Amino acid sequence: MTPAPAVPLEVAEYLHGLVLGERPIAWLAVDSAQILVAAGGALAAHGLDAVQRGRPAPEQLWFLEGLLPPAASPFRLQHVQTTDGRAADLHLFVAGDRVWVVLIDSATERDAAQRVQQKAYDMTLLSEREARLISELEAANLELKRTYEALEESNQRLARELEEAANYVRSILPPPVAGRTLTADWLFIPSTELGGDSFGYHWIDTEHLALYVVDVSGHGVGAALLSAAVANTLRAEALPNTDFRAPAEVLGTLNQIYQMEEQNNLFFTIWYGVFHKRTRVLSYASAGHPPALLVPDGARSAAEIKPLRSTEPVLGALAGIKFVQHEWTVPRRSRLFLITDGAFEIIKSDGSMLELDEFVELLVESAPSGKAELDRLVGVLRSLHGPGPLDDDLSIIRFAL
Amino acid sequence: MALQKKICMLGAFAVGKTSLVRRYVDSIFSDRYLTTVGVKIDKRMVTVSAAEVSLILWDIAGEDEISQVRTSYVRGAAGYLLVADGTRPATIDVAQSIQQRVEGEVGKLPFVVLLNKHDLQSVWSVSAGDIAALQRAGWTVQMTSARSGEGVEEAFQTLAERVIRGQ
Repeated sequence: MTPAPAVPLEVAEYLHGLVLGERPIAWLAVDSAQILVAAGGALAAHGLDAVQRGRPAPEQLWFLEGLLPPAASPFRLQHVQTTDGRAADLHLFVAGDRVWVVLIDSATERDAAQRVQQKAYDMTLLSEREARLISELEAANLELKRTYEALEESNQRLARELEEAANYVRSILPPPVAGRTLTADWLFIPSTELGGDSFGYHWIDTEHLALYVVDVSGHGVGAALLSAAVANTLRAEALPNTDFRAPAEVLGTLNQIYQMEEQNNLFFTIWYGVFHKRTRVLSYASAGHPPALLVPDGARSAAEIKPLRSTEPVLGALAGIKFVQHEWTVPRRSRLFLITDGAFEIIKSDGSMLELDEFVELLVESAPSGKAELDRLVGVLRSLHGPGPLDDDLSIIRFAL
Repeated sequence: MALQKKICMLGAFAVGKTSLVRRYVDSIFSDRYLTTVGVKIDKRMVTVSAAEVSLILWDIAGEDEISQVRTSYVRGAAGYLLVADGTRPATIDVAQSIQQRVEGEVGKLPFVVLLNKHDLQSVWSVSAGDIAALQRAGWTVQMTSARSGEGVEEAFQTLAERVIRGQ
């Protein structure tokens, strides 16, 4: 092995000065009784200028507590810092019965290492925080997804139940009739929500035909249930002590039974009529409902169409109302239309609402040919409304009497 | 001369070791995180069983994925505080690893586990079950907050008493 070349004295002195200038060094010697026996070098640079020889070392030099005698020789600790901000590499080695303690200033290296480490730890903490936030976000998203799926399932179940309810409402509507004495057709378009329209017609006896249409306030299952209940009551003629041939009496009894306080605050409008086949007299009463529209054969203007109206308030809101019964003789080959307000309270594409008078005009224009007339009517109404579902149930019942 | 005892602060980086010492020695707290390089040495007097004891506190640079705590810094210690961050559960694993290494290389020493940053309840991630598991392993666990001072005096005092009792 080639021996290391000798360093010229000038070079050695230069290096010695350079190292000591940049990294001040202090040294201390401690005997076997841990008494400080020697101290020298740049003691002030290390804050050790007040140390006293002949006194216990750990008492003056805290950093030596527990380090004497050293676990190994040499023993080195890097960047030992005191509260005044100084930093030193600490070297302990044993020589004879003494432990030498050498402190080499490391403040510059400590500061450089601290800057790098600070940056690295800041980045690590940031990415840890980011990972935690992402994890929390993912958990929140998962929870949201589960909630959405549960909601979706609930909505689908609700939609199925609404569909079943709508099917029931439709199932209790009477079938169209095409007879010699009576022709009846109808058109029923429920709104997107389940609505409160219902209607019916049936022979009370061989002479008297009952005709009725009901519209419960609001939408939804509650309105549909009440509407179906009222229609079933009328169809089954299930009102006590009531002559179903007497419309005012029928409405009076209905009003007693279906007071809104007992019907979840729902009230309804109704038009109820009885057509006497032999005399052709139509008796009717109404509670807050749009008029039935009687169109004589060959009517050429709206003025010829007879609105069969009454002015009593809605049914179920006030107890003890006396309903007025009206009568009107129906000319042969007339058409009679029972409607709900959804048939004419249609928002037109220009934002205005169709009026009843405008609806009446449509009846003048309609060709009197049964179901085709209803199809044409609804086509016109839909074109007036524009695309999208109607806002309310639409019911039109057409009789040819 | 009062009795002197070397106490080490050990744990993962950024768990609050330096802040706990600052709170304990100077009753101050700073939100600014400053990493420790090497070791910072500080001192505080405590009274244990009517005796004055000088605790020489060695606040040792935290452990990270690249560098482990050097157990050479722990040589000569009378006990240590093992610090973890209650908002970062992984720092408990680091604390367990350090404890095993210290015990293996330096020997059994009294220690107390500090779950620090207990004031950050909204992001606190250590459950009562986790704490019970540590206690079942025989560890003394103390919730601390260098920010509020919660549990800090108690932690150092508990360790000082164990160190003196264990003499």
